[in-house]
Amino acid sequence: MHTDPMRCTRRHFLASSTLGVGSVALAWLLQQDRLLAESSRPELERRTFDLTPKPPHFAPRARAMISLFMQGGPSHIDLLDPKPQMAKYDGKPFPGTIKYDNAAQASSKVLASPWKFHKHGQCGTEVSELLPHLAGVVDDICVIRSMHTGVNNHGQSIYALNNGAILAGRPVLGSWIVYGLGAESQNLPAYVALTDPNGLPVIGVDNWSNGWLPSLYQGTVIRPQEPRIQNLDPPPHLKGPAQKRYLDYLATLNRAHLDSHPGELDLEARLSTYELAARMQTAAREALDLSGESEATKKLYGLDDPLTREYGTRCLLARRLVERGVRFVQVFTGNQTWDHHNAIRKALPAVCRRTDQPIAALIKDLKSRGLLDTTLVHWGGEMGRLPVIQNDAGPDRVGRDHNTYGFTMWLAGGGIKGGLVYGATDEFGHKAAVNPVSHHDYHATLLHLFGLDPKRLVYRYNGREQSLLDGQPGRVVQEILV
Amino acid sequence: MRRLPFLAVSLLFLAHTAALSAPPAKDEGLTFEKHVRPILKAYCLECHGEGEKLRGGLDLRLRRLIVQGGDSGPAIEPGRPADSLLHQRIDEGSMPPGKKKLSRDEVALIGRWISDGARTAGNEPKEIGTGFHITAQERAFWSFQPIRRPALPQVKRMDLVRAPIDAFLLARLEEKGLSFAPEADRATLIRRAAFDLLGLPPTPEEVSRFLADDRPGAYERLIDRLLDSPHYGERWGRHWLDVAGYADSDGASSQDPVRPWAYKYRDYVVRSFNADKPFDLFIQEQLAGDEMQGPGQDRDAAAVERLTATGFLRMAPDGTGINRGDAAAQNQVIAETLKIVSSSLLGLTLGCAQCHNHRYDPIPQSDYYRLRALFEPAYNPKDWRAPPQRLISLYTDADRARAAAIEVEAARIDQERLKKQEEYIDRTVSKELAKLPVEIRDTVRIARETPAAKQTPQQKQLLREHPSVNVSAGSLYLYDQKAADDLKSYADRAARVRATKPVEEFVMALTDGPGPAPPTHLFHRGNHDEPKGVVAPGGLTILEASLPLGVPQKAPSPATTGRRLALARWLTDPRNPLTARVLVNRFWLHHFGRGLVGTPADLGQLGERPTHPELLDWLADEFKAGGWRLKRLHRMMMTSTAYRQSARRDPSKEATDPDNRLLGRMPVRRLEAEALRDAMLAVSGRLNVRFFGKPVPVRLDEVGQVVVGIDTTDSAGRPTGKVIPLLGEEYRRSIYVQVRRSRTLAMAEAFDAPSLEPNCDRRNSSTVATQALLLMNNEFLLEQARAFAERVRQEAGAQPRAQVTRAWRLAYAAEPAPKDVEQAVQFLSEQARHFSSRPQEEALASFCQALLGSNRFLYVD
Repeated sequence: MHTDPMRCTRRHFLASSTLGVGSVALAWLLQQDRLLAESSRPELERRTFDLTPKPPHFAPRARAMISLFMQGGPSHIDLLDPKPQMAKYDGKPFPGTIKYDNAAQASSKVLASPWKFHKHGQCGTEVSELLPHLAGVVDDICVIRSMHTGVNNHGQSIYALNNGAILAGRPVLGSWIVYGLGAESQNLPAYVALTDPNGLPVIGVDNWSNGWLPSLYQGTVIRPQEPRIQNLDPPPHLKGPAQKRYLDYLATLNRAHLDSHPGELDLEARLSTYELAARMQTAAREALDLSGESEATKKLYGLDDPLTREYGTRCLLARRLVERGVRFVQVFTGNQTWDHHNAIRKALPAVCRRTDQPIAALIKDLKSRGLLDTTLVHWGGEMGRLPVIQNDAGPDRVGRDHNTYGFTMWLAGGGIKGGLVYGATDEFGHKAAVNPVSHHDYHATLLHLFGLDPKRLVYRYNGREQSLLDGQPGRVVQEILV
Repeated sequence: MRRLPFLAVSLLFLAHTAALSAPPAKDEGLTFEKHVRPILKAYCLECHGEGEKLRGGLDLRLRRLIVQGGDSGPAIEPGRPADSLLHQRIDEGSMPPGKKKLSRDEVALIGRWISDGARTAGNEPKEIGTGFHITAQERAFWSFQPIRRPALPQVKRMDLVRAPIDAFLLARLEEKGLSFAPEADRATLIRRAAFDLLGLPPTPEEVSRFLADDRPGAYERLIDRLLDSPHYGERWGRHWLDVAGYADSDGASSQDPVRPWAYKYRDYVVRSFNADKPFDLFIQEQLAGDEMQGPGQDRDAAAVERLTATGFLRMAPDGTGINRGDAAAQNQVIAETLKIVSSSLLGLTLGCAQCHNHRYDPIPQSDYYRLRALFEPAYNPKDWRAPPQRLISLYTDADRARAAAIEVEAARIDQERLKKQEEYIDRTVSKELAKLPVEIRDTVRIARETPAAKQTPQQKQLLREHPSVNVSAGSLYLYDQKAADDLKSYADRAARVRATKPVEEFVMALTDGPGPAPPTHLFHRGNHDEPKGVVAPGGLTILEASLPLGVPQKAPSPATTGRRLALARWLTDPRNPLTARVLVNRFWLHHFGRGLVGTPADLGQLGERPTHPELLDWLADEFKAGGWRLKRLHRMMMTSTAYRQSARRDPSKEATDPDNRLLGRMPVRRLEAEALRDAMLAVSGRLNVRFFGKPVPVRLDEVGQVVVGIDTTDSAGRPTGKVIPLLGEEYRRSIYVQVRRSRTLAMAEAFDAPSLEPNCDRRNSSTVATQALLLMNNEFLLEQARAFAERVRQEAGAQPRAQVTRAWRLAYAAEPAPKDVEQAVQFLSEQARHFSSRPQEEALASFCQALLGSNRFLYVD
């Protein structure tokens, strides 16, 4: 065993220009930092952590990813996995065994989808009438109807899809990807989480947790309201000229101090860190400023419509961030937005109405800018819904309970074959039946598209080499790749 | 994935030309001992001489054995590198096998040695035995030599020698035609000394008292006053906690369970420093406090203290609470503990000998296991105890009796609750049954009442069709919230009764036994799955002749083997050449910014050589002779001329000593994370100086940043927005903030707080933009700036000049120059224009923020 003299700081040195790890929310800001400390010993088992671009293990198809996370569990059988056979069972007992989350409101009566499905595009993928905009881009997306995680509650299933285990504490997919590949932007976070004004999703900040990877790889939250990025901007009353005047005065103090300490490079370097900080503020401000977008683009995302404006704004931001070199972007829906235990007939159309147009716009926009080829887009939640009724209290009040044994997500761009439907659930949409895809398969496939070998993307922690799959079988789903 | 045996992966072969053999001077001849053998040791000896098998019959341990050669004939032809098999093989890269090859420089050096005639420095030993062999060269290595007290060197400027250390430093400076820098002014000195000893800035009142004290010995009195402060133990205790790897959580797993009682060890450390406990005793208590307790003795306060001290050996990350029965996790706890012990006290990278003989230092693999055997009676792989099982209760017999009586009462309430619960469930089921068609009610009821194992398939189907009758204690609330609330009131009542039990406190201790000591095996390639021969407990072979580590053959008491006590006595034996050197080097580091040995955890071959070897030895001897008391040493170091120098660089010295290795001035040092946070709190007036006790909790805020606070996320991990007031606890000194391995306080991490895997032998001091942004925008900073401004207004009134002067004194412990005041007052008036509400107050807060973020505040001269 070899001790690294610098290991206890997890800050490591690359010749004279140094990149390191810093405070959680700001760790990404370090990539241009220079450190003046020196290593006095030969390098032993040095681990260097930074966000400069790294070569993948093999030629990648994707260079960035936008994950549209539909927290709560969208009802796949009402949106993307039509089950016309269910019509004849509607209101009758379900002929099989079902595991309920909420026994008190459970019913064994089948609820056939109240919405119609139609074939769309050249590929003829069937899409529910609730998603008219998505229907317009089906030729670009691959619908996976055979997802399963098999753990029947939100938290565990979100962990499964995020970090591969059903527990907290491990690094999430985005952290692994930026650990493996760094970022192409030098002034923006490598990994961004865009949160919803209606609150954080279930498992909260663990959704973008670096686990035991250095905090440099944690997702940086861009909040829907000011201050958008913590520590990057001051509270509103200190913004702008007030902060500038404060910085000028601080520089005066520091220059006077430096004058009485000639030759102290560290003091000099600190002056330049403030300049760097200012550059990062500018870059982030520019990325978040939508005023330069054309009216047509704004309209495309639904920014002119109060119902779609909020979600459309974040989808547009996701595109701008990816365009500027951000590697991984998560766009969350609010806490349990898709968790339709009750009143699904009213609630599901409402949330589709808010999100459908912006999502389809994102695909179109990425495509027209030539970004879709290298940008993976993911849509899906941590589960789907059961084919039976929950809360049998009249048509307006019925809902559906959790189902993690079979559900749907879709992928687009970044090396994914468009116009494809992959896998299938049983005739009631309860369990993945044909070509099932687990969260491990999903992770293996995504890493593969980024040119990363899941077995080689490892991090040494707790005396062994750890990975996203952590020894679990994960299959690259070749059938859905271009 | 197969779990890799611990460290098998780190068999990575690492070599460093520069460290292995110093580049030979032009006129110096190359010798086997000095230039060649270190390279062979690093790359070749594991298979050719020191390993279990001799590969190819070739032994490279001696020059004559190399000439003699192996199965393929002589390995070298002196004078003819091209004809030398050894040179050919390393040159073409076919040896050593594997990825790590000799560098071109190393190959060339061996080539030159051969062409120069392959000389040795002296006569080679006649007998060498088999396997690991320590050469005379290795025995002569500096850190293994006895500590001898050197005479004070002669210097020209005797008038500059205030303390013995000055003579050693000045002698070296004078050799280079240099001298000490002028003495720093008094304001600088008090700020430097206060941060060094207390980790807090001096108050303006303390500064003026010191400046006004014109009697002789004012500075010495200042040092004494600081050494008497109870904050001293917090500052120097924190240094020790770094090397001990102190944490309030287990680490080593994603769950990172909290260690609720670790703080008792932290408090023990703080108290020990404040009491100036002799360091030999301090070390003995930490390694063997349990074994110092005589058999049959009552556990009095002193015994509890000694037991608490063994928390030192419980600081390593420990994943065995989560991964119960996992041999690899257990093995790792022992390995990490050895790493902490060796880096903190031995100053050797003992861990490098876990898988194979040390590549650079004369430490055979068996030494690693001899030392490991000292700990195995306590960390027994055959009878492992998980972290909770190692907690020792401080309950007395009376406490126990009282608790049992209270438990009877609580259990009675539990019984009532269970009865009530049954009634509620029955009632709810009846209601649910009533909703079903009359004709099936009875059948469903009977099905439900039938135990699951006895239910017929029809009954099972029936229950599936009517899931709502499956009421349980857990789901009752979904049907009848009032009933659930009522049950909860019973549970609450029982909890309240239980809360009246005497508080049971624990200590995290390490103790031997029970049962006989297990045999310790050497692990092949460090793999715990491949045990080899049994190894007896003992110390380092290299010191065996001068200072054997004698382990009691017979256990001194049924409870302990006495092995760790033997180790503790061996380490603190005045003849031990390592311990005192390691310790004084660390003390030096914290006063002068850099150790006399730049690598405080490695006094071995790959570590740095001391810049002032005589001074190091003198200090080590002085420390021992003075009863291992640290305060005495502080006083001597801090009253020296060296320590009182100005930190200003002198251009005339830069060419000769650009890195200030000779200490011709004091270095400019940035405050460590804890000192910086504490200083901000002290200046803002918010600091809560309460000592000791349970750590102040940390939590993740809404974006995932670690801040001080009580976690109020709900069971699904979502923020609830609820804030539980900490009532001033949030402003306590950083040493009392919870050290959760997976959650380093963001503010502290940005300023290089250590990540404990397992400990930290030296802090880093970085300068990065993250810090700038924190100082500009972080909520903690803004809050302290507002509080600072409020304090200044209260203490100085509304007059800007008075405010500026007061703030300056508080932040910098110095008087502002007239120009400073002018600039600041101008800033206040200009900045006020930017605010529409409370402009004066906001401008003052902005000014205070600038002071807190300025280099003058962040650095100590």
